[in-house]
Amino acid sequence: MSRWGMVIDLDRCTGCGNCMAACHQENNLAAAGAEETGRGRAFHWLRLLPEVSEGPDGTRLRYLPQPCFQCDDPPCVRVCPVHATYLSEEGIVGQVYSRCIGCRYCMAACPYGAKVFNWYEPRWEGDSRKRANPDVSLRPKGVVEKCTFCHHRIIRAREESRARDRELQDGDVVPACAESCPARAIVFGDLDDPESRVSRASRSPRAFRLHDDLGTQPKVFYLAETE
Amino acid sequence: MAKPEQPRWIYLLQLASIAWIWVFVLGISYWIVHLIRLSHELQDVPSATVGISIVAIPVFWAVALVLTYVFVGMQKEARREEER
Amino acid sequence: MNTATRHETAEFGDAQLLAPIEQSGAGFRVASSLLLLILLAGWVVFGRQLLYGMGVTGLNQPVVWGFYIVNFVFFIGISHAGTLISAILRLSKAEWRRPITRMAEVITVVVLAIGGFHPVLDLGRPDRMLNIFTSGRLQSPLLWDVSSITAYFMASTVYLYIPMIPDIALLRDRGTWPHWFYTFLAWGWRGTPRQRKILDRAVGIMMVLVIPIAISVHTVISYIFAMTLQPGWHSTIFGPYFVVGAIFSGIAALLVVMIVLRRVYHLERYLKPVHFDHLSKLLLVMSLLWFYFTFSEYLTAFFGNEPTEMRVFFHKLTGPYALFFWGMVACNFLVPVGILSFRRTRTIPGIMVASIAVVVGMWLERLNIVVPSLANPRLPYPTGFYVPGLVEWGMFAGGIATFILGFVLFARFFPLVSIWEIQEGREHSIAETVERLEGYLPDADVKEAGAPAGS
Repeated sequence: MSRWGMVIDLDRCTGCGNCMAACHQENNLAAAGAEETGRGRAFHWLRLLPEVSEGPDGTRLRYLPQPCFQCDDPPCVRVCPVHATYLSEEGIVGQVYSRCIGCRYCMAACPYGAKVFNWYEPRWEGDSRKRANPDVSLRPKGVVEKCTFCHHRIIRAREESRARDRELQDGDVVPACAESCPARAIVFGDLDDPESRVSRASRSPRAFRLHDDLGTQPKVFYLAETE
Repeated sequence: MAKPEQPRWIYLLQLASIAWIWVFVLGISYWIVHLIRLSHELQDVPSATVGISIVAIPVFWAVALVLTYVFVGMQKEARREEER
Repeated sequence: MNTATRHETAEFGDAQLLAPIEQSGAGFRVASSLLLLILLAGWVVFGRQLLYGMGVTGLNQPVVWGFYIVNFVFFIGISHAGTLISAILRLSKAEWRRPITRMAEVITVVVLAIGGFHPVLDLGRPDRMLNIFTSGRLQSPLLWDVSSITAYFMASTVYLYIPMIPDIALLRDRGTWPHWFYTFLAWGWRGTPRQRKILDRAVGIMMVLVIPIAISVHTVISYIFAMTLQPGWHSTIFGPYFVVGAIFSGIAALLVVMIVLRRVYHLERYLKPVHFDHLSKLLLVMSLLWFYFTFSEYLTAFFGNEPTEMRVFFHKLTGPYALFFWGMVACNFLVPVGILSFRRTRTIPGIMVASIAVVVGMWLERLNIVVPSLANPRLPYPTGFYVPGLVEWGMFAGGIATFILGFVLFARFFPLVSIWEIQEGREHSIAETVERLEGYLPDADVKEAGAPAGS
């Protein structure tokens, strides 16, 4: 059984936001629109976390791509009243859209603010709904949703390797954000396989996790910038 | 002064109300047991579920028992008075 | 004592208490329709939320909980007025409780029904509420709430009902309309000594049972917040802090209700200045206790100086919530302590002002707990904001209207002051209290024997 994880190399990341856009396309995220975004209802599974730092050469702004961290001890799963969010055997925090009652307790409990809520029935501009990715289900109004580590791609990759009669190999599964990154800053793979790229990168001395002190054990690592 | 006489249908209604309390309490107990089974099945901290239910179920039973005690006591006495 | 004499005394002395039931007039009809109208308007506005989704509220990404949860905590807090205070006063044999307990218990039942319903308003998918029964997780603090509020509602309804049986029987015997209704609820009460004994025993059990349940309710509500890791919420003091706040706001609400009902139903004979004086001293003590808890809570956050905690801290003290925070301190501490500490200002109008201030202040406290912690996420995203929409205000008005409506309806069908308990006070308690007082004093005959004192 794999334990999926991700490493984001901040040395490579340019903050272009391609990952965010690709995630929207891949996972059928309806755009919230300017007005709703202004009301604080921007709708992303992967957000760009702004980080302002004061250096010797003035103020610097940079962005950290932030998907759901798929914690090994997820605070959101603990509080869900109806088993609508759960930790899968492969370490992915899933959301059952058809069971969620929309109480938003998981959103209040997540220290990273990784979950989003469907404030309205998703609005599709023009015929964009027809071009939706058939692998990812559409969500109704009133439920919470979140990054799945492109779970459908994992399933597809596993089926393909089974059809070819071979084991799933490192690099077979590439989530939309990693695939779209022009700087190849995002590495995805099995953390339990000590030889995988993601596993090796996560052991790098540059590797850190956001708010590691909370004990949530995120499976998304960042590689700190070198000067 | 009207004599406290009680038609039979009102007595049945009273009986139904106390029965309803028990349906309610048994329903809640069944629900909690169902949740314990569910958490056991999903291996989702069954110990916590059991711990909470140990506190929760007796409370409902205690309230229902007090109510039943009052009901039975009142009715018994009312019967006795009627016979007299 | 047989039934006949009791009724005659009622006719004689306390018939006034039955007037709102037996001679209800246009006032009741006007008031109840007006309140129903407000409630209906609230539901009409709420219809938009059902139709379009939670988007019509002012909630947004970091601030996912707003008025519904604030009011949920607030209303459930008020509910501690009743049952808890009446239980504690009964348990401690405070004789001045007699005209108060019934009103206190009514507050609990009415407000609990309102507050308990609020989380349902907050659901994105209320149509799936039954998932709590089919696939609930008792491990979630939300389910602790569901079970403890249900238990509290059941216990406090029983605790309201059982001591009301003799009064219902009185209405039955007087042939008051609707007669079948009172006959049904009287449960065959004849006032025989054995029935009295059963009633006393049941009330005795319930008053002991209800205290831990009431405390558990607000503790568990605080756990909704305290069990998360969020700054400003993850605090061990939250359980007792919420309970203290709940009792505090409960006493204030009880005082407001007493003053208003005294005026409306002319209960001056029953609710005397001494009752207000005693209760307002209790309010003063709770105000000091509340301040102590608040001070401890904020000092620990401040002294620890953790960046995420400090962001929430300053959001409240000097940031966008400064008005609400300092308003809360003024309403919950400065105003009640300023008014209630002095005998000259501890008059009924003074108590009214202090109590209203506390009710408002405690609502502000709930707002200060829920929103700023959500608005300041741990990661350096921009600070969130929350402006409640029309729906939230509508349901807030609806909740208050329901509260008043509950009292109007209750007063229409049941006496607001426990008649038999007042009579019991007149007939038995004076002798009993004298006897009890004598029991506290050193025994008289030892002195008379005089052996140790004389020698």
